[in-house]
Amino acid sequence: MKLAKTSKKRVFTIAFLALFSMSILAGCGAKADNKSADTKAPAGKTRTIILGSYTVNKEPYEKELIPAFQKYWKQKSGEDVKFETSFVASGAQAKAIVGGFEADVAALSLEGDIDQIVKAGLITNNWKSKQADGFVTNSIAVIAVRPGNPKNIKDWEDLAKPGIGVLYPNPKTSGGAMWDVNAIYGAGLKISEQKNGKQDPAFAKELLKGIQKNVKVMDKSGRESFTTFEKGTGDAVVTYENEVLRAIAGGAKYDLIYPKSTILIQNPIAIVDKNVEKHGNKEVVEAFVNFLYTKDAQRILGKNGFRPVDQEVAKEFSANFPIPAQLFSIDYLGGWSKVVKEIYGADGVWTKIVVELGQG
Amino acid sequence: MATPSYQSKTAKFTMIGIVFLYFTVFIILPIGGMFAGAFAKGLPAFWRELTRPEAVHAISLTFIITAIVTVLNAVFGTVLAILLVRHHFPGAALLKGIVDLPFAVSPVIAGFMLILLYGPKGLLGVFFDAWGIKIVYALPGMILATLFVTLPFVVKEVSLVLQEIGTEQEQAATILGAGPWRTFWRITLPGIRWGLLYGITLTVARSLGEFGAVLVVSGNIINRTQTATMDIYQAYSDYNELGSYAVAALLAIISFAILFSLELIKKKKEAASNGN
Amino acid sequence: MGHLKIAHLSWRLLATIVVSYIFVLVLLPMGALLSNSMAGGWGGFLEDLSQPVARKALQLTFEVALIGALVNGVFGLLTAYVLVRFEFPGKGLLNALVDLPFAIPTNVSGLMLLAVYGGGSPLGKVLEGLGLPLAYSIPGVVVAVILVTFPFTIRALQPLLEELDPDIEAAAYILGASRWKTFWKVTFPSLLPGVLSGVTLAFSRGLAEFGAVVVVAGNIPMKTQLAAVYIYGEMESYNARGATSISIVLVAAAIVLLVLLNLVSSKQRLTIPRFGLLRKIFVKGEVKEHGNPVIPVQDR
Repeated sequence: MKLAKTSKKRVFTIAFLALFSMSILAGCGAKADNKSADTKAPAGKTRTIILGSYTVNKEPYEKELIPAFQKYWKQKSGEDVKFETSFVASGAQAKAIVGGFEADVAALSLEGDIDQIVKAGLITNNWKSKQADGFVTNSIAVIAVRPGNPKNIKDWEDLAKPGIGVLYPNPKTSGGAMWDVNAIYGAGLKISEQKNGKQDPAFAKELLKGIQKNVKVMDKSGRESFTTFEKGTGDAVVTYENEVLRAIAGGAKYDLIYPKSTILIQNPIAIVDKNVEKHGNKEVVEAFVNFLYTKDAQRILGKNGFRPVDQEVAKEFSANFPIPAQLFSIDYLGGWSKVVKEIYGADGVWTKIVVELGQG
Repeated sequence: MATPSYQSKTAKFTMIGIVFLYFTVFIILPIGGMFAGAFAKGLPAFWRELTRPEAVHAISLTFIITAIVTVLNAVFGTVLAILLVRHHFPGAALLKGIVDLPFAVSPVIAGFMLILLYGPKGLLGVFFDAWGIKIVYALPGMILATLFVTLPFVVKEVSLVLQEIGTEQEQAATILGAGPWRTFWRITLPGIRWGLLYGITLTVARSLGEFGAVLVVSGNIINRTQTATMDIYQAYSDYNELGSYAVAALLAIISFAILFSLELIKKKKEAASNGN
Repeated sequence: MGHLKIAHLSWRLLATIVVSYIFVLVLLPMGALLSNSMAGGWGGFLEDLSQPVARKALQLTFEVALIGALVNGVFGLLTAYVLVRFEFPGKGLLNALVDLPFAIPTNVSGLMLLAVYGGGSPLGKVLEGLGLPLAYSIPGVVVAVILVTFPFTIRALQPLLEELDPDIEAAAYILGASRWKTFWKVTFPSLLPGVLSGVTLAFSRGLAEFGAVVVVAGNIPMKTQLAAVYIYGEMESYNARGATSISIVLVAAAIVLLVLLNLVSSKQRLTIPRFGLLRKIFVKGEVKEHGNPVIPVQDR
């Protein structure tokens, strides 16, 4: 009996050690995978581009732009280029890149998030001097409502009516949320400017406060926020125009409401020099970014609901993209640094609103 | 257990009824709903969702992390348990407290601590960065995060059993001249076998299901650092509910399977020793 | 005896490696957390703590975890009692189901609660009509916390109830005590450590929960945003110091609870609730495994 037990122990030990070694090997295999993706490869082999993007980009990039570029690059250089992609909230993505995520290309929701990466010393090129000031797509902040607009929402003020459930994400993590809140606040300034001849911050604050009061859920990202709307929560979601158009193209019957006064959303793209140097894939990364500005790529983006930055292509799509009467840009609000501090900072307008609503 | 004669029938039925309701609201409906959702479109659709390339990668990644974490915890946890229960040394109480710590730390905090420590500007991160080794936003960081949250399980369970079985046999072995290793393999390990297996089961279940800590530490890179739980979340965000539920159901089934096979083995052993 | 010495040395070496492993795995990260929150000194720490959004998040977290723990305690006690004392069809199934929350990832629990009780489902619509929406509200978060802490009190109490001789209760009743009195004076005192154990564990787990909470709560600052989600937001928006300060408060509270838990459970040597199906192994199986009646099995 004792002998049987001993050999059982032996078998157990051996199995244990085998499993241990196997998992270490598997782990090393996965790690090796990690590393080989990063090293320079001789011509004819595969190089990899790591894309760090915000959330609502996923469909055009994964379904059309990346395959189109891979085809184009294969034809041009005979090389198969692989892509690794991450789609998380813009702020979170910037944070990840600053924190060590080795993205070669940062395609984010707002310039302010790219600035964070610049501040960390990872982007050294003058990205704003590239085509279209470094922006690869445009959009505007809009409101999507249920089919037929049952709550009769025509503009921002209607979102502050009692009983309306509003959705937008949390500005702390989501670039989209900042665009949305900026749009509302800026619209408030514009409206008061129209009425009284000069901007009235108090009026804008009241407008924003009234809407924030009706917000039901604040998701981490633009995409998650829209998903919440799709799942049946809320009467209206404030989001990117391209996100609503994507849903409508997919068969949803939402009504797209264009406010009279809203913000021009400009999405930047930048090469993260430090990572590109490390990976040795500068040539192909630059080619990819340049590719996104070609007419074909811009048309793909236009088809997917993004406003092209290429003037000619934009003209082709002008019927699809109405221009609101009072469109303003982030400059109207003083630029991102000012906005981040004065709206979202510790003493910012939005922060104060949230506290007031919480204590009320 | 016979019904205590002092409980009235109505009391009994009311209590059982309330308990059934409690279970229905919190367990049966939500979890049943998940399985219903996963198989709503039949087995072929379920399988199709599980074999999405990003899902396959995510599930494999989860398995790899779980395997590494389980083995490390099994070995180190057992050694720790023996240290804490069988040996006296200054700082033992402190060590015990430290082992308990992961219970007190929210998974997001665990993930952030790792980023603070191993990110490019972190205390240790600067060294790893200089050598070109990636910890956060890569596999090693995810393993560390999972190791952290699963630390207490094996230690606790093996400690409990070590306390119960007592030291008599081990002492006898030592008196008869066996060294620490021989005593361990021949006496201790068989004794703690079930506690160790139970601790391993808990570790596996927790590793498969870890979300917050790995989300923070991994960067959520599709086909690179997305685990099964993150794929569940991604699929849900991409309006693929079926895919989301399918992976979730898979993880749940695996955890149950481990638990039940452990129970089966135990039953067989009991039957065998009864037969003798 | 030479090889014996090597054996002892190699054991010492392994022990040293393991202790260093713990140091690196647990202490270093916690140290990083502490040093980061002290980046602005005590003044900075207190400033982070005085942010209204942070305080509200902490307050909501404590309230939700407390309510969840109390529900866990009361219904857990009832469930354990029913599962141990009564026989009824479906009992085995219920007992097996208790452990389910351990096997489900927390974000999945959250997704499922939304699916079953959220605005899109029939049940959800009924609840909304009654003015009790569970999705994106504090009650919903409480439900989520109860789900993820479901097994704790039940599993802490089952062994205690099994050891309690039902004849003693019956005797008290026969001798004239009312049912309530029998329960409170005879049964409950022995169960108290288990109840405290389960409630404390549920409370500390509830404080830390992220996956289920972030899915189910609306995460509106000052209204439905709990501490773990607040911390996540602050970290992602470059307020690392604020995030770490609040993290430390949360961890400190949970450590206090853990210490209390250890104090309570050292009296009955129960620290983690166990899978009920396996519990019996420990109480009775070990003696059989060795076949040696000399090995003492300590009384619980």
